[in-house]
Amino acid sequence: MAEAKERTFSIVGKRERKVDGVALVTGRPKFVADVPIPGSLHVKVLHSPHAHARIVSIDASKVETLPGVACVLTHENTPVTRYTTAGQGYPEPSPYDTRMFDAKVRFVGDRVAAVAAESEAIAREALRLIEVRYEVLPPVLSLDEALAPGAPVIHDEEDSTGAYDPSKNIAADIDIDVGNVKKGFAASDIVVETTTETPYAQHAPIEPHVVQSYLDPDRRLVLVSSTQVPFHVRRIVARVLGIPLSRIRVIKPRVGGGFGVKQEILLEDLVALVTLRTGRPALLEYARDEEFVASRTRHPMRIRVKLGAKKDGILRAAEMEVLSNTGAYGSHALTVLSNVGSKTLPLYNKAPDVHFFGRAVYTNLPVAGAYRGYGATQGYFALETAMDELAERLGIDPVELRRRNHIRLGETSPIFQKLGEGREGVPQTVKSCELARLIEVGAERIGWAEKRGKRRRDGAWVHGIGMSIHMQGSGIPAIDMAAATIKMNEDGSFNLLVGATDIGTGSDTILAQVAGEVLGVPLSKLLVLSSDTDVTPFDTGAYASSTTYVSGKAVEKAALEVRGQILSVAAGMLGAPEASLVLANEAVRAPNGKTVSLSQVCERAMYQEGQFQIGATASFVPEESPPPFFASFAEVALDTETGQVRIVRYVAAVDCGVAINPTLAEGQMEGAIANGIGYALYEEMQISSRGRVRNPSFFDYKILGARDAVPIEVILVPSYEPTGPHGAKSVAEIGINGPLPTIANAIHDAVGIRLKRSPFTPQRVLAGLRERR
Amino acid sequence: MKIDLTLNGEKRSFEAAPGDTLLEVLRRERFVGVKKGCGEGDCGACAVLLDGHAVNSCLVLAGKADGREVVTIEGLADGERLHPIQEAFLDLGAIQCGYCTPGMVIAAADLLAHHPDPSEEEIREGISGNLCRCTGYVKQVEAVQDAARRMRRPHG
Amino acid sequence: MGLLHIEEYLRPASLEEAFRLKRAGGERAAYVGGGVSLVLFAPEVKTLVDLSRVPLDGIHSDKGGVRIGASAPMREVLDSPILQTYLGGIVPRMLREVASPLLRNVATVGGTLVAANPWSDVIPVLLSLDAEVTLFDGKSRTIPLANLFPVRHHLGDALLTEVRLPPAPAHGAASFVKFGRTRFDVAMLNVACAVTAEKGRCSKARVVVGGRPDLAARAPKVEEVLVGAEFSPKTIAAAADVAAKTVEVREDRRASAEYRKELVEVGVRRALTEARARLAEGSR
Repeated sequence: MAEAKERTFSIVGKRERKVDGVALVTGRPKFVADVPIPGSLHVKVLHSPHAHARIVSIDASKVETLPGVACVLTHENTPVTRYTTAGQGYPEPSPYDTRMFDAKVRFVGDRVAAVAAESEAIAREALRLIEVRYEVLPPVLSLDEALAPGAPVIHDEEDSTGAYDPSKNIAADIDIDVGNVKKGFAASDIVVETTTETPYAQHAPIEPHVVQSYLDPDRRLVLVSSTQVPFHVRRIVARVLGIPLSRIRVIKPRVGGGFGVKQEILLEDLVALVTLRTGRPALLEYARDEEFVASRTRHPMRIRVKLGAKKDGILRAAEMEVLSNTGAYGSHALTVLSNVGSKTLPLYNKAPDVHFFGRAVYTNLPVAGAYRGYGATQGYFALETAMDELAERLGIDPVELRRRNHIRLGETSPIFQKLGEGREGVPQTVKSCELARLIEVGAERIGWAEKRGKRRRDGAWVHGIGMSIHMQGSGIPAIDMAAATIKMNEDGSFNLLVGATDIGTGSDTILAQVAGEVLGVPLSKLLVLSSDTDVTPFDTGAYASSTTYVSGKAVEKAALEVRGQILSVAAGMLGAPEASLVLANEAVRAPNGKTVSLSQVCERAMYQEGQFQIGATASFVPEESPPPFFASFAEVALDTETGQVRIVRYVAAVDCGVAINPTLAEGQMEGAIANGIGYALYEEMQISSRGRVRNPSFFDYKILGARDAVPIEVILVPSYEPTGPHGAKSVAEIGINGPLPTIANAIHDAVGIRLKRSPFTPQRVLAGLRERR
Repeated sequence: MKIDLTLNGEKRSFEAAPGDTLLEVLRRERFVGVKKGCGEGDCGACAVLLDGHAVNSCLVLAGKADGREVVTIEGLADGERLHPIQEAFLDLGAIQCGYCTPGMVIAAADLLAHHPDPSEEEIREGISGNLCRCTGYVKQVEAVQDAARRMRRPHG
Repeated sequence: MGLLHIEEYLRPASLEEAFRLKRAGGERAAYVGGGVSLVLFAPEVKTLVDLSRVPLDGIHSDKGGVRIGASAPMREVLDSPILQTYLGGIVPRMLREVASPLLRNVATVGGTLVAANPWSDVIPVLLSLDAEVTLFDGKSRTIPLANLFPVRHHLGDALLTEVRLPPAPAHGAASFVKFGRTRFDVAMLNVACAVTAEKGRCSKARVVVGGRPDLAARAPKVEEVLVGAEFSPKTIAAAADVAAKTVEVREDRRASAEYRKELVEVGVRRALTEARARLAEGSR
């Protein structure tokens, strides 16, 4: 894109050090549990041992006499309000099917009671003294069981709302038609159909969920939470506990990883209620096994894709049917389901006939929620496997088949309008797209032409090469809103106050770079304060790959206003028209060469003449969600005797518009791909026949370690997104969608087997090899 | 019980319950750079140097540390001067959420103190006990390589 | 989380004192080596007897072979020049695949043997080397390592003080193969072998399969195929075949029985093939 190359930036595009880097690398107290509030009660949760049961009685009388116990919470003494734990904008498009504590438990790990005590040891002891009698009910432990006629009804309560048809365990349902797929398939020369399945996986952030609550000197409730959604926390906690929103302050400090699992109002209600009831601060930190079992997971899915194409490979019809397991509660059920289609199907916009439909189903299993990729990860496994099969059937090279079909600059897809997040979407055309170049660059770097089909042998190892292409989105159009406040200080520095939620992504740094570009200052002059509901303006939070694009645009707007104010003051000082002034390098320059420093400008405005606070607040609601693009290539080696799969090399070519900070953009891609590789090769929550998670620890739930050496090469190919701040789009999620289909396709290249079920464990691979013989 | 140890170069004395782990004692005494990620020795976020060797402090009973030398992340920098590994992590973008960072830097410090010129394989092995969910280890390995180079350079 | 039920933490400075303290506590006392198996202490245990001050570390070599103090951390064994030259450095080679440096800096050899985790990598290798262990219960006695496991729950207050390896055989080679899911993982299956062969003919063979998921055990029928025969690829293939047929495997969270059977054949074949290659190298 010529535009991107012509622009010169002063701080955008620089590999600046993160603004919080020094604090993190020296271990300063920056995380929730690092700043203990003296006198805090320790809260612990009693989890259900049964997948499906009614609580016949709960007797906490023995607990109440234990010294050091401050309060016990059960369904008998807590609010009955139904809500969703999903951290989404109001009104949340998820069923209100959750109570703080219910008289029914719906998965092994569900809340039964909670205790607040002087120490963790006493709290644990107290949990043991709670006597619960259950009426065990038959559990529903799979998609098929949930949909079987006569299946036990998981949400049989009267007061839940928003689920599609709880009597049939259906939390969400969707059916979108474009054209007529029956006619489309009939008119196709080749039709392929494939079904893929993906399992339960957990985000496994190294910092588990943790919340601290306390009453400030004005007796307002303060929640310090490791969260992605501070504003949603405030609103939902207020509603659930029945207290005015203005009596709550939510602060997000540094967060040790979220990946979607913290886009949830998971524990804040509990600690808040303990503090309100006792007047004392309270802390709840999940243990690692609780984090696995009783927080959130990815939605396991079964997805059938049917593609019809002409002999030339151009798609004629596409059908995608989704069955999503949303677990015991429906948070994110509808929106993740929608995303399976909304973030995949527009990529291949040539097909005039498209049918996307599916359902999200309740089961008595761990609760699925938001997880990086948000349905697109599962969807791309199906779609890009089907495309690979189509290429094989047609005798067209897989790279070439993508080239002929992918969406291009200036094009649109009817899916954009028909399918949003749980409701209708927004029409849009692609205004920045380097996908063709990504494919070219990636294919060349991996050695596609040289390696494809060669099946190079190295002892028992066989090599193969595979690819896939992807798009995602940047924020949720017409729904997400972000705001930013900038105020100037008399030394030429600025406070940048953003609701935007840095969860380790580096958004504090990115947003500072966006502002610094407009204001002509280095990062050291930008003091970022983020995610404090009392101080920073609103932001929906860190999800939907929205921070750079949506929050960034709000920052850019605010910075432009502030710049205008600076120039107007400087104009008076320099005696030159505003339009002739240049703001750069912390000073304003007139055409005649006279300058005033930013510090002088602010001193004047603050103390001397026509005094006012130089500052502005701006908001931004995106009208569209410009997709980043990703061409994913991998060379794998497969041990034909053991089925073990090794990634020899991973090449990721990505277009995220202008990369505000290339190091951070690369980091997002590398981390997302590594997580995706884990999901493709190792990660699977194993569930017993009674619905219990059998491997809730890093010992048995294997994530990628440093020795699982995967050389990941990220190639940033810039484009310029005219609607984005300084031309930026997003990059946070898209990387995680590559590994499943890319590796599956590479395995096929190596040994001719198509794996439709992940993870591709050595056992599955070996079984596939044996079957093929 | 009382434990006496040298912590970040200073002689310190702490009260501990007999069953306390070193991780618990350190965090209680405000050395919160030492993180708890799992409490079971699986993730390495709690790594500290014990007599110069990196260990999971969640697996070390406090009593074991009596009479020994412990260095936490807080003790790596020399006042305002960061350790070369810390500088390298900052410069190469090896820190995302930062939660695994202290433990990983400690493990890298152990590695480089004993193997000043490690191969890439040796670096990966050196930090193999430190799990990270954010980075894919790409920039962390590069940062350790860079730190090794910085540390081998003659002072200047 | 720390151990809430512990009331006393003792740090004896001598073997005799350690034994005395443990005996005084009986079932309510437990030895602590590296402490990696912390979480396994039963709730009845109230007293911990920390062995880190008892002089049980150190690695020595003499005519009788190699002696490894039970309190030697795995790292020390891995770095030891004595073990690096013992039978081609088999012990350090195996230790590279065990856990992580963080864990190897605390876990001790003695602790690992007593914990007797079925997925242990250390145990199959030591068994293949005909290791012996010394136990102290007022007096010292030395028994073959293999005899430790049936009695380890009945050791009472005895503690393991030393591991002994016999002098490395001339014309011997050893190897170790581990199958894990990721590289920071316990074994789904592992194989250790030690073979002595002169002029291409095998005079002694130890083949040990571990992580079955049961505790490592020698595979005598496999060893029978090898001893007295030409140590050739053909013999190795036959031995691996017999292994797949005779080594008992079961299913667990990590792997199915069927898959383990496959791994047994591959593991035994690869381990023996590597040993053969090392022998060839050694004789050049």
